[in-house]
Amino acid sequence: MLASVSSLVQTNKRLDTDANIDPRSFEFKKNKFGKPEILWQSDESSMEWPLHFNISHTSSLIACGIAMDTPIGIDVEEKKRKTVKSILSLARRYFTPSEVDYLAKISDSDAQQKEFIKLWTLKEAYVKALGRGFSGAPFNRFSIQLETNSRIQISKAAKVCNDSASGCDYLSENWRFALAELNSSYYMSVCIEDNSRGFENDSVPLGLKVWKTIPFIEDTLVSGTDAVKLIT
Amino acid sequence: MAAIAGSAVSFARPVKAVNVNSVPFAGLRKDNVAFRLHPVSQKFAVCCAAKKETVDKVCDIVRKQLVLPEGTEVSGASKFTDLGADSLDTVEIVMGLEEAFKITVEESSAQSIGTVEDAAELIDKLVEAK
Repeated sequence: MLASVSSLVQTNKRLDTDANIDPRSFEFKKNKFGKPEILWQSDESSMEWPLHFNISHTSSLIACGIAMDTPIGIDVEEKKRKTVKSILSLARRYFTPSEVDYLAKISDSDAQQKEFIKLWTLKEAYVKALGRGFSGAPFNRFSIQLETNSRIQISKAAKVCNDSASGCDYLSENWRFALAELNSSYYMSVCIEDNSRGFENDSVPLGLKVWKTIPFIEDTLVSGTDAVKLIT
Repeated sequence: MAAIAGSAVSFARPVKAVNVNSVPFAGLRKDNVAFRLHPVSQKFAVCCAAKKETVDKVCDIVRKQLVLPEGTEVSGASKFTDLGADSLDTVEIVMGLEEAFKITVEESSAQSIGTVEDAAELIDKLVEAK
């Protein structure tokens, strides 16, 4: 993990010509819920904003997301990941009613499975961005709306959150998402805090850049190529 | 560090000693209990180990979910992450356990499950509470 973060931070340095940090000086800690974070010294005057990162992996891919001055959550999953239980039974147990309805309307089972994986990675990315663990943001307390060609939205599940406060206390809705297909084989979801402060819709672009990395050896910018297809 | 062999200590049921302070506890295993000698008194919470049938059933469900190769060792001490379970596997396993034992596992309890033994202990507790 240390190797990939250091390598990616070295890459990140290209974006900010004023940055003058030696990635080897990074120290890591875990927050009280177990989320790994960079131990940021308050007198770190060489970088204007603290770095946040999050990691996800499948059996064949590790993804590390880095953001400046905003918490970030990332999740990757194989597009064709098969579940042992049926999609709808998993959704009924863990997702919200509106998400179950969205999936139930999809008649093609392959398409339904893909939408499930998309929703799964988006919800995971949100929980990881919040950094309070699975129980800090139970999946059935918030809904992700996936409409084609429009921004991914998150909202608290109205009925569950109004009926009982438990589990909803730390849920916030000011988060932005990016969903992309990597190498036509993976779905990647990224979630960062929305600091647009009241701007309507997507006036401020997310500015997502993706590198394919062999740690300490090679970084290739792949966003904007076929390797990274932004879904929304 | 004083080591007490399992056979020298007799209990009505198998017990596991859990140190609730932050003093590190080295080498705690089912077949021996190791205590660190310390001048300050420590508090211990003693909780009961899970029933063998429960552990076996959990191992079975885990094997099926993770499609583990024949001969892969799965026991109470097995950590889910070491077995290759990611978050989606974990929720499927939890769902399988809920169906098999007719219980409901809250997210806050599920989060503290690290090993098969942890899962089995939680199941026994939930089944008893029914």
